[in-house]
Amino acid sequence: MPKCLVCYKWTLDEQDIKIKPEDLSLDSSRAKGKISDFDRNAIEEAALLVEKNGGAVDALSYGTPTVKQSLKDCLSRGPEKAFWIGDASAETADASVTANVLAAAIRKLGQYDLILCGEGSSDLFNQQTAPRLAALLGLPCVSFVNRLSVEGDVVKATRKLEDCVEAVTVKTPVVISVLSEINKPRIPSLKQVLGASKKPNEELKVADLGLKPEDLQPKAVRKSVKGFVMQRKNVIYKESSAADNVAKLKSSLASEGLC
Amino acid sequence: MNFELTEEQQLIGQSAREFGKEYLEPIAVDLDHTGNFPKAVVDGLAKHDFLGLLLPADFGGAEAGFVSYVEVIESLSRYSAAVASIVNNHTIAAYTIQHWGTAAQKKQYLHDMAKGELLGGFAIYEHGPTPGVGPDALVAVKHAEGYVLNGKKAYVRNAGEAGVYVVFATTDPALGAKALTAFLVKADTIGIKVGEKLETMGLKGCPVADITFENVVLPESALLGAVNGGVAISAKALAVASVAEAAQTVGIGQAAVEHAAAYAKQRVQFGKPVATLQAIQTLLAEVATDCHLARLGLQNAALLIEEGKPFEVEAAMIKSFLVRLGSKMLLDTCQVEGGFGYSEFMPLPRLFRDIAGTNLLDAPGDFPEKLIAASIA
Repeated sequence: MPKCLVCYKWTLDEQDIKIKPEDLSLDSSRAKGKISDFDRNAIEEAALLVEKNGGAVDALSYGTPTVKQSLKDCLSRGPEKAFWIGDASAETADASVTANVLAAAIRKLGQYDLILCGEGSSDLFNQQTAPRLAALLGLPCVSFVNRLSVEGDVVKATRKLEDCVEAVTVKTPVVISVLSEINKPRIPSLKQVLGASKKPNEELKVADLGLKPEDLQPKAVRKSVKGFVMQRKNVIYKESSAADNVAKLKSSLASEGLC
Repeated sequence: MNFELTEEQQLIGQSAREFGKEYLEPIAVDLDHTGNFPKAVVDGLAKHDFLGLLLPADFGGAEAGFVSYVEVIESLSRYSAAVASIVNNHTIAAYTIQHWGTAAQKKQYLHDMAKGELLGGFAIYEHGPTPGVGPDALVAVKHAEGYVLNGKKAYVRNAGEAGVYVVFATTDPALGAKALTAFLVKADTIGIKVGEKLETMGLKGCPVADITFENVVLPESALLGAVNGGVAISAKALAVASVAEAAQTVGIGQAAVEHAAAYAKQRVQFGKPVATLQAIQTLLAEVATDCHLARLGLQNAALLIEEGKPFEVEAAMIKSFLVRLGSKMLLDTCQVEGGFGYSEFMPLPRLFRDIAGTNLLDAPGDFPEKLIAASIA
């Protein structure tokens, strides 16, 4: 009966983020939070594994203090207990800081048979959390998983890679990252939503995780973020013949390396 | 004072929107074309506890409160107001049993209604000017062991699909509506005949039909509330229903304005998206504002219901507001989308038909303005 831990990220809903036309900066002032899309798949997969095999699912998230808003949503989707680390350091955290904090928290929480993550987060999609966590915890990592099963202490996974599908067998404990196609996350029923507030949650403090100051120093520093807007050139060729227009178009595309 | 929904209310709304996106959006057009009852969807609604949302936990309900309920009805209506209408009619029947039923009646019906194994219907209207008046009024005659019902109920929603109906009949034709009395009638009771499904303009998929009662014998235990107490029951139940129907209108309006805004951003005229034109922005802004203000009004009425406070005047206000503005919302969004929006392959015609239906549905009192005017000191 596997003991599972799902790591999830509380991100802004990208649909609510607007691009300011004057300087292309992002306006997230009215953006709501959501559990990162692939992480929903990770939560669902853990819930399905436990429904099939028994065991237990906990959840863990590191984010800014707003991460607390995610707890009921997360707990309504299957996990029995949620651990959360709400800290200002998450505002500038890169994949390395996130993995350092999560790994330190997992060491404190004790051993889990399966540690599941989404393949990448909805906002940054660095795809680094699972491999970095595995490296820090000294565990095997199986990424790009689109099918998963557990028999005793053996995990069977199918990895969907660029040019092939790979079947993998690995012994627990293991870190796994899942693709969105692995399952369809459940829509919580009203009783599951209302029951979530009765499930336990526990705050972990960064200061209690035994981290060194450099563990919280991001290696990649974001200087700025700008929205991408397609700029049309509105070039119109007015040559006398179609052939001349096509020739001009061709040379124009070639000059930009497009043909 | 706090205008924020609680976390639970927000998550319940999110679940309803996810359900709508997953299960209602793919069938909404087909439902509008065929009018077939969406049995699989109704089963799914039950599985997610939407059919027992208001009912107490003792009866298997989610006991989520009326604010959550209007959030759910609005969210479902964004995808299919017809399905929201099925839920609402079922819920009002269950609400009536919950509030006026005996312990035995609650035990008999509410567990199954919460699970969705028994769908409810609410039979109040007749072809005459008011229930209990007119040539085919439903009349309940007392006999030794109960009542015998003869007559007809009109425009019964969930007709033919419901397993139990809350039925209003007059016990004295001379008194008409003043002797209106509520009964619980199982759909398989001998003498009940559900007529042909009415072809309606909108809300297709929520079945509507007349029900004929011919020597329908009911035991005394089928009586719901007091003899001749039907007017008070129906007035309260219809007022509650009207708040949920206001949520249907807001959901339809919100779906329309979101569709129109998305269309305006991608529709290029005069070298730029029409969303940049002031005339288009004005139309979109007015509809979005109407939706926002209506939502605040209906949440206010819903909170009063949830807290057991008088709510009828606020319910009448929101009903009246939306009857005036509901159709205008759709006209304005149709203006934004122009000829494309007017085409049947776009969603606005369906939303137009649906909002016409919600506008006609139940109202608190004889007409809402009467209640509002009387409330002004």
